[in-house]
Amino acid sequence: MYVGGGLVVLGVVVIGLLDMLLGAGHPVDSEGAIEHAAVVPIDIRAGIILLGLVIWGLVAVYKFAAGSAPSGSTTGQTPSGMDD
Amino acid sequence: MSTQSIRTNFLGTETSFSVSGAWLSYWILLLRLTAGWWMLHAGLDKIWAWPFDASWFVGGAAQGTILAPFVTPFSDGILLAFVNVAVPLGQTAIGLGLILGVLTRTAAFFGAFMMLFFYFINGYGGGWANGMVTGELLGIMVFGTIVALGAGGVLAVDNRLREMELFENTRLRKLLG
Repeated sequence: MYVGGGLVVLGVVVIGLLDMLLGAGHPVDSEGAIEHAAVVPIDIRAGIILLGLVIWGLVAVYKFAAGSAPSGSTTGQTPSGMDD
Repeated sequence: MSTQSIRTNFLGTETSFSVSGAWLSYWILLLRLTAGWWMLHAGLDKIWAWPFDASWFVGGAAQGTILAPFVTPFSDGILLAFVNVAVPLGQTAIGLGLILGVLTRTAAFFGAFMMLFFYFINGYGGGWANGMVTGELLGIMVFGTIVALGAGGVLAVDNRLREMELFENTRLRKLLG
């Protein structure tokens, strides 16, 4: 679960930030779409995101197939006098 | 209306946060209905315009994308015929499942699965002109949220299914919301 999420965050946010900070400027084309030189090739970036999403999917299938018990978390109910 | 305190261990750290049960229920129902209509609308559009032909997408648009090796075999023959039926019916079933709250987690999972293809193929098709965060990726996130939060517990048919003997089996219960 963490690996999948980590890869998606890496591909979307981290590389996006690197791209923005280290890449070329951000000219906008006539249709308003942003164009800029990619620091990390788009295929690699897409592959990282795809791998993360696939891992999420595999974790979901595994959790279903393994029939694992709920994780160790607790909830508590704190009555609130205020309307939310 | 009450506040629920969620306490768990996240990344090795004791984490706690509070959430309003009422707002959470309201919001996940809203997510379910919105995402459900998104898929139902897409499916019904294709059914109204039957027959649906996905060859332009799996055969044409998918070429040169990272998914091409996995998708190209479905661009011809019986596999294409399968896709031509599975996509419209699947989107319709996913949409109905989410709106009515039937097998909610299953519906959301397959919604995310389907959206994965649209994300990468449409993304490449548009040259990722507007970045990696597209509507399709946000759709995957919404479906993931529905799975994670068990949105089939709010005004859903899954609440009735949960009472059935068939779903007393722990594994099958996971298919519900």
